[in-house]
Amino acid sequence: MRKQLHRLNSGGLIDRTQALCFRFDGKNYDGFAGDTLASALLANGVRLFGRSFKYHRPRGLLSAGPEEPNALVELRTGARREPNTRATVVELFQNLEATSQNRWPSLGFDVLSLNRLAAPALVAGFYYKTFMWPARFWEKLYEPLIRRAAGLGRAAAVEDPDHYDKAFVFCDVLVIGAGPAGLSAAVAAGRSGARVIICDEDFRLGGRLLAERRQIDGRPAADWLAAILAELASLSEVRIMPRTSVFGLYDHGIYGAVERVNDHVAVPPAHQPRQRGWRIYAKRAILAAGALERPIVFPGNDRPGVMLSGAVRAYVNRFGVLPGREAVVFTAGDGGWATVRDLTEAGAHVAAIVDARSEINPESKTMALRVGARLFAGSVVEATHGGQALRSVTVRDASGKRARLACDLLAVSNGWNPTLHLTSHQNGKPVWEETIQSFVPGRLPPGLAVAGSAAGRFTLAEALRDGARLGREAAVEVGFAAAAADPVPATDAETDGLAPVWRVRGNRGKAFVDLQNDVTDKDVELAAREGFRSIEHLKRYTTLGMATDQGKTSNLAGLAIMAEQVGKAICETGTTTFRPPYTPVAIGALAGHHRGKDFRPVRLAPTHDWSREQGAVFVETGQWLRAQYYPKPGEQDWLATINREVLATRSGVGLCDVSTLGKIDIQGSDAAEFLERVYINGWKTLPIGKARYGVMLREDGFVMDDGTTSRLGENHFLMTTTTINAAKVMQHLEFCHQVLWPELDLRMVSVSEQWAQAAVAGPRSREVLRRVVDAKHDISNEAFPYLAAGEITVGGGIPARLFRISFSGELAYELAVPAGYGDAMMHALMAAGEPYGITPYGLDGLNVMRIEKGHAIGTESNGQTTARDLGLGRMMSSKKDFIGRLMAKREALVQADRPSLVGFRPVDTNNRLWAGAHFIGIGRAAKTENDEGYMTSVAYSPNLKHWIGLGFLKNGPTRIGERIQAVDPVRNGEVEVEVCSPIFFDPEGTRLHG
Amino acid sequence: MAEQAKSIWRPRSAWAGIVEAGQIGVDGKPGVTALTLDDMGFATLIVPPGSPDLASATKRMIGLDLPKKAFVSLSSTHGVAWAGANHWLLFARQQAGFVDLLQSFSDHAAVSDQSHARAALTVSGPRVREVLAKGAMVDLHSSVFPVGATALTSFAHVHVQFWRTDDGPDGPIFEILVPRSMAGSFWSWFAASAAEFNCRIDRD
Amino acid sequence: MRIACPHCGLRDVQEFVYLGDAAPQRPDGLAATEAAMFEYVYLRDNPRGLLEELWYHGVGCRAWLVVRRDTLTHAIEYVGLAKSRKAGAAA
Repeated sequence: MRKQLHRLNSGGLIDRTQALCFRFDGKNYDGFAGDTLASALLANGVRLFGRSFKYHRPRGLLSAGPEEPNALVELRTGARREPNTRATVVELFQNLEATSQNRWPSLGFDVLSLNRLAAPALVAGFYYKTFMWPARFWEKLYEPLIRRAAGLGRAAAVEDPDHYDKAFVFCDVLVIGAGPAGLSAAVAAGRSGARVIICDEDFRLGGRLLAERRQIDGRPAADWLAAILAELASLSEVRIMPRTSVFGLYDHGIYGAVERVNDHVAVPPAHQPRQRGWRIYAKRAILAAGALERPIVFPGNDRPGVMLSGAVRAYVNRFGVLPGREAVVFTAGDGGWATVRDLTEAGAHVAAIVDARSEINPESKTMALRVGARLFAGSVVEATHGGQALRSVTVRDASGKRARLACDLLAVSNGWNPTLHLTSHQNGKPVWEETIQSFVPGRLPPGLAVAGSAAGRFTLAEALRDGARLGREAAVEVGFAAAAADPVPATDAETDGLAPVWRVRGNRGKAFVDLQNDVTDKDVELAAREGFRSIEHLKRYTTLGMATDQGKTSNLAGLAIMAEQVGKAICETGTTTFRPPYTPVAIGALAGHHRGKDFRPVRLAPTHDWSREQGAVFVETGQWLRAQYYPKPGEQDWLATINREVLATRSGVGLCDVSTLGKIDIQGSDAAEFLERVYINGWKTLPIGKARYGVMLREDGFVMDDGTTSRLGENHFLMTTTTINAAKVMQHLEFCHQVLWPELDLRMVSVSEQWAQAAVAGPRSREVLRRVVDAKHDISNEAFPYLAAGEITVGGGIPARLFRISFSGELAYELAVPAGYGDAMMHALMAAGEPYGITPYGLDGLNVMRIEKGHAIGTESNGQTTARDLGLGRMMSSKKDFIGRLMAKREALVQADRPSLVGFRPVDTNNRLWAGAHFIGIGRAAKTENDEGYMTSVAYSPNLKHWIGLGFLKNGPTRIGERIQAVDPVRNGEVEVEVCSPIFFDPEGTRLHG
Repeated sequence: MAEQAKSIWRPRSAWAGIVEAGQIGVDGKPGVTALTLDDMGFATLIVPPGSPDLASATKRMIGLDLPKKAFVSLSSTHGVAWAGANHWLLFARQQAGFVDLLQSFSDHAAVSDQSHARAALTVSGPRVREVLAKGAMVDLHSSVFPVGATALTSFAHVHVQFWRTDDGPDGPIFEILVPRSMAGSFWSWFAASAAEFNCRIDRD
Repeated sequence: MRIACPHCGLRDVQEFVYLGDAAPQRPDGLAATEAAMFEYVYLRDNPRGLLEELWYHGVGCRAWLVVRRDTLTHAIEYVGLAKSRKAGAAA
């Protein structure tokens, strides 16, 4: 095994018996189970993790957690390659492979670090100011250049091979964060019997306790932790979810979370998801997300080796890694002193303590003396030195005197910011708390409480107290009896004195506010000078606080510098709004199962398998897959197939599935009255056993849907709707009944799924049906004329319905059988029609025939057309009120020259037509002001042997015989067409009645 | 000809070509069991608001109480589930005789036969709630969704009605009805969701 | 958001379809004027605060609901059945 030079011999929460081998930038390393990628690399002495976004500066680890702005890597390879992964939260696994980002050709030697020389061009707002002209250079030159220079990782170029889950879970109390506050809350709520979920983004529960050397009840905190985790595990209604980040808070107690189920293994086990997106419905929630330590803005603060003081403790205490052997601690409060202690005890030498405060308490002075560290009170670090790793720092004391100190680690401590992000997702503006010099949660969303550090109460004692109290209260609020309260455990002494340093001015090197976006203190000043003073503008103008870390370490320093620039207090400048997600979330975890063919449910007709057997090509129609056409071997193209299907139907008999039409069963003594009100035409006179075509308007007067409705009994109707609008019409009818006219006696239910339905069309259709319908039913022309509708039986008693309706213009029927018999029906009709050459046709064949007959479908009733536009104006009854009646009469909708439906045929019958073409008078320019309408549907008519079209034309019906240009600049330019009746075929309708 | 007709006019299961008996997912003891229900009869019963006699008719004809809001009444042969305001779903374990039953109900409610409109299945097992939680936006905890509870909702964007039939030795048993046309998409989701727990599949 | 359907209980907003202001009443009958209908179809207030709205529980019991919701906070004060609203209508 390779030696891990910076690994401590003992201590930490890693398993030294379980070595894990991994690769970074092609080099092999070893780490241990319990490591993160960051801690394992650090243990191996790796300091350089990546290059910065704009300037390609060398960067190392700043943190040990989700706030990491620098150490972004591409994780895994090939299809599983994932860019911008924070090495600080990547759990190490055997054979992990990671690559640094944003460097070329290598991390150590990066050509584009020369960007630093061009730095003046990359200041705040550079992409608004630079490269503005000429515009065409943008796409070809500037953008590729910038994309290469400034950027993050590369996404995998192939489909993600893993699968993702999405799941829903309900609880009484959700606890976000499993540190001392969260664990106390969970156990307090759980003991009462409440359903509790406790989530933590870490793979190990304990929060800061894992990183600190603390005592609880006089014993190491680890003992308390073990006991409380054991108790939680024993409570059957408590669900513990490690590796789960709660990323968003939504209205009414809904929380979004992502569980990294298998991110800690190279490849997920079979049938397991990589990640699972959770929607958590919680009656109460307790935010115990802790706090994030703040860096200090000073020149050279981005050099690898400059690290947050709390992160140093995490690496030492949790991971058994010494981040440096010769350290300087730069602190603005008591926090840095804990780092001095822990570093020393771990065997590092602390060369100096630079405390920005001038007053140092005697105990601290004694500690400095004991560990052999020079103490600089009232001093700051004003520069760092070294190439790709820290070698020394320059300290400046209150009198301006400078000292240069050799070191390989600079730990910085500037207090903490509560992790309050989730509290601001619902307009809860954080409020400034002077005593801790930080923002704390403002108005909280209903049901949410905040415990411990997340509320700005940073001590361990407060965390334990808050958690226990809020956990109990939450359980009681949702109706559980409070469990007996244990005394809050005692903790060792702690102090949190602080006098934050927002920035150190110096004259050597850049001082970074936002390390991830390469935003410096000078950029903030520039933004202020240029007037971008609002905090929200500052963010957009400088990019401060954007990208994967969303300003977790940079936000406050940016605000503080802006406040200083504009002469305001931080509480006056306010803060930007934190929005979900708190942490990056893979789209896969949000989509779950719903991708590719499962993107949304697909609906299949009960005749689908039959169509497939017949070789159908299918097309999506809303959610449905419908047969489009049925090609036969040897047919040269789609058109040949359609022509065959149409000619066979018109000369013999064709068969088409129409099961997808919406079917609504309407019963009740007011059923006919109801139809009168929702359709434009009359229904009370419809005899039992008859079908009628109806048109429905929206209340604004435009056509909503159409179809036939049959009267099955005095108080019983069956409505059909178009396939696409079935659900919409049902919703509309329920609206009309429940909201508008609840007094009507009416019962409605969709029976769309109950019936398989087929159109049998063509001059031989009756003969075919005669062989399928049970013999006792008379379906002769006399007994069952056009528009007859009746309940019959087939196959020796199977209940069925027969409708003599026609969309094709032929003698035609629609036969409906219970859906389970749909497949049988198609086979029976094929067998019965065999002597007549029965031919299946699909949507395209149907389309040709309906255009030949001038029937409108969705391309004509497109939401912008009225019944009058469609030539159905005379259907509108004047004797009754109906939905859309008044609005359809509006002046603009009844103007004579409003485009209305007519037919078109090419003057030169060799020309084809295109839907979408606009009509322009012959000899006139193709301009908007000359536009007279547009073509909606076209087809090649194998009966007429040329193309035909339907469309809307100003004064259309009065212009039959006129010629006009159909102009389609996108495709074939102009075709001269003749205006004609929309009914191209059998205008007298004799075939219908045959 | 008559013989041929008979051989053609056979009903086809809503699950035909979609669900096959067997096992999916990891090896070991099944965490979930699914059984398709291929011979059930369903019908919607709707009455005018305040209509009194459906309850007594239900009691008389199938021996069951008309359930109140969000519950189902079950016997070994029949059931009736609340399905909205003044709206119930009547069902029979076997289709034989169902048409006659509907005829006798038609004096007491607007009856619409839906026997072919739904694809039905029973799911059970110790992990079944974890599978359903991957699609159901309703709480399936016993304190909220006890035996006899029903809900109209969607699983993975497919409209469903389902109820908790009983609790077996292996945990809760649910019956789920999905629109026939979406049986394939439903199953695609269910199978993918159940695979990590090992799912045994039986056909009725 | 979640809406407490009087029939089905508390359900995710994904199960519902939004229509809008519940206040406008359709001017029914042949005597209705075009002006009244125009107002009913098009004119809406857009209040900041409480608003009674129509929602449809399409993925549940198919009931049209009247939901009194604060447009600023999304807090829902009341949910009832639309059909119970019209005077004299049976519940």
